[in-house]
Amino acid sequence: MLNIPKANLSTRNSGSSPEPTHLKAEVQQLNFYYSNGFHALKNINLALAEHQATALIGPSGCGKSTFLRCFNRMHDLYPNNRYQGKIIMHPDNTDILGPKVDPIEVRMRISMVFQKPNPFPKSIYENVAYGLRVRGLRRRSMIDDKVEQALRSAALWEEVKNRLNDLAFNLSGGQQQRLCIARALATDPEILLFDEPTSALDPIATASIEELIHELKTKVTILIVTHNMQQAARVSDYTAFMHIGDLVEFGDTDQIFTNPRQKRTEDYITGRYG
Amino acid sequence: MDPMYTHISQQYNAELEDIRSKVLQMGGLVEQQIDQALQALVKGDVALGEAVIMDDTKVNSMEVAIDEECSQIIARRQPAASDLRLVMAVIKTITDLERIGDEAEKIARMAVRLAGEERPKNNYAEIHALGMHVRTMVHNALDAFARVDIEAAFNVAREDRKVDEQYEAVIRQLITVMMEDPRTISRVLNVIWAARALERIGDHASNLCEYIVYLVKGKDVRHTSLEQVEKEILGRPSGS
Amino acid sequence: MDDTKVSEIRQMIIRHKRWDRLFALLGLCAMILGVLTLTVLFADLLIDGAHRIGVDFFTSFPSRKPESAGILSAFVGTCLVMLVTVVTAVPLGVAAAVYLEEYAPRNWMTDLIEINVSNLAGVPSIIYGLLALGLFVYALDFGQSILSAGLTLALLILPMVIVATRESIRAVPGSIREAAYAVGATKWQTVSSHVLPYSTGGILTGVIIGLARAIGETAPIITIGALTFIAFLPPAPIMAEAPFISFEWLFAPFTVMPIQMFNWLSRPEEAFQSNAAAAGVILIAMTLAMNALAIWLRYRYRKRIKW
Repeated sequence: MLNIPKANLSTRNSGSSPEPTHLKAEVQQLNFYYSNGFHALKNINLALAEHQATALIGPSGCGKSTFLRCFNRMHDLYPNNRYQGKIIMHPDNTDILGPKVDPIEVRMRISMVFQKPNPFPKSIYENVAYGLRVRGLRRRSMIDDKVEQALRSAALWEEVKNRLNDLAFNLSGGQQQRLCIARALATDPEILLFDEPTSALDPIATASIEELIHELKTKVTILIVTHNMQQAARVSDYTAFMHIGDLVEFGDTDQIFTNPRQKRTEDYITGRYG
Repeated sequence: MDPMYTHISQQYNAELEDIRSKVLQMGGLVEQQIDQALQALVKGDVALGEAVIMDDTKVNSMEVAIDEECSQIIARRQPAASDLRLVMAVIKTITDLERIGDEAEKIARMAVRLAGEERPKNNYAEIHALGMHVRTMVHNALDAFARVDIEAAFNVAREDRKVDEQYEAVIRQLITVMMEDPRTISRVLNVIWAARALERIGDHASNLCEYIVYLVKGKDVRHTSLEQVEKEILGRPSGS
Repeated sequence: MDDTKVSEIRQMIIRHKRWDRLFALLGLCAMILGVLTLTVLFADLLIDGAHRIGVDFFTSFPSRKPESAGILSAFVGTCLVMLVTVVTAVPLGVAAAVYLEEYAPRNWMTDLIEINVSNLAGVPSIIYGLLALGLFVYALDFGQSILSAGLTLALLILPMVIVATRESIRAVPGSIREAAYAVGATKWQTVSSHVLPYSTGGILTGVIIGLARAIGETAPIITIGALTFIAFLPPAPIMAEAPFISFEWLFAPFTVMPIQMFNWLSRPEEAFQSNAAAAGVILIAMTLAMNALAIWLRYRYRKRIKW
């Protein structure tokens, strides 16, 4: 099985010796076929380290978004997609791709933030509270607390605390994306999936989201798909490079960006691809 | 390294190629400086010596120009992996080359001073030998950079040990001369400075080789012993 | 760019703009023709019948004397029939559309159903009348009543409601659905909390437009036998004694405005023509009011939602 390299980033910041890295999820021999038969993911083996950010990079069509969406079973929403292989969640060792596992249960443990900010056309409060309501939470005070907590974690509370009943659409793009992050955080997920979260945002909003991801790492495990390599280099501890459905290389972000082992990785990173 | 030329951006290709060729140009100029400084010393040619001293400004301005280009590449292109290592290696290489240029200028100064003095019987043969040795080192190092050849780089680094030994021998000889005849002390001191400069050049040349290893393997081998390098980088037990 | 090129371009633009102006003129004429025709017709009706419109016109039953004839029974009949239509068509139509859009599997059978729903909107209304006669009036024995009329018209506008609902549901972006699912919602939670609320504007618009059409449908109502001379109102739904709510009015005989107009038009007296014209004016006013309501609702809902 995969040997997880030590996370240099966290030790550099804290100055302490590295603790043994725990795994949050293990991907085993994952294959994925779209409804038209297209073999989108080929034998992927990967491990997600807990409380670390893992980035997925690769050219268009390499399968990184497909791979991301396997984690929260989004492919189940469209008919005739087929999974093969396992994704084991720790510590309970559940295979979230198992046919007996309800996708809704998976989505309650793993949240997602999408590429284009997609808040509901409701108030800011209702957006964040929706996940809680879906889980049957009814006590107003509890919902209030969790909404505030989520908005604080998303670094949005100060900006919206006086207008929680305002329509979410009145926020700027960067704020809307942070609202979506708050919505995803409100339910205390174990893994947070980001699908190119800043590709629709301007550089300042992008920088604030990246900063946020850095802070969120202490609470959740993060898997982020990005086509911006510098973002992957800045934000993640581990990076996986994918190419036409294959996992070409997986390792420490620092190592991948200064001295990758595979030529294909090197070619992509330095812009020689194509 | 062929892949150098296949970036999607032709501009980027051209920029990287440009700094490489400029480094080699600078190296060529520096080699020439060493050559001419040695000649000036051995032949007592004052004009040549002064030419070398003046040309040092050219070396300095090349360092500044290449540094500027590297900064721009970093700002514009955010180089990664091997491109990043190339730019870093170039920045370090030109620093060492500029120092080599300074040492060559020192030798030229000594040459000018010694030109008016009494010439020894062997015509500075030992300095000449040391100088040739060192110049070959620099030449081979630049060659290894051009061909990105870590075997060649390693061999040059190994030469530095021999250069050090040779230098020690020259110093012992010169000390003997000074002890035999105290009137020669002020003259011989200049020769010693020249020898020292040559030994320094050898050290800088060996630094160049460390950067070549970094460029190719991504491993920083400054302050690593030769035996370690041989074992880890070249993948063979030391001494072979 | 040198002078000759610039002048060439200018001349070309002048030529092309001539076609521009020509078409704008043609469009304007066509529009004026249409609007003018409608205005003339409406003005004609108004001139004919305006003097008859008043409180007693609304509160009198039809009578043999044109001056004392009114539309009370017809107006009440129209309103009650519309009520039954709405209560039947909206839940059925919305539920069917939700099922077709969200739950039905994508196979040939679903496709077949979808095609046929759209086709149904084009079926001549008299066919619905025949269906209603056989099914509601005789087979189910509802008789020639408000219930039959309401159900018939509901069937008539059902395809419109289904199509309007489906269009509104489709207009909800997939990204919102994915966001809801990603947060852990079930299909029904997604539909009820998000898809339906955001489609309400479109659904209402579709319903109101359907009603505006149904209000003027005469053929099916005649077929199932709405009476043309009713001088009484259906029994009131609220009674003085238990059980306080009566459904007898559903089974009562009735008439509607178009039928009343038709009846008056076929009388020889000049005065009845004015009555018909007045009733026509009121009918048009009701239709216009409903359309205006539809537009306003659409505007209101669109303000809240920006995709």
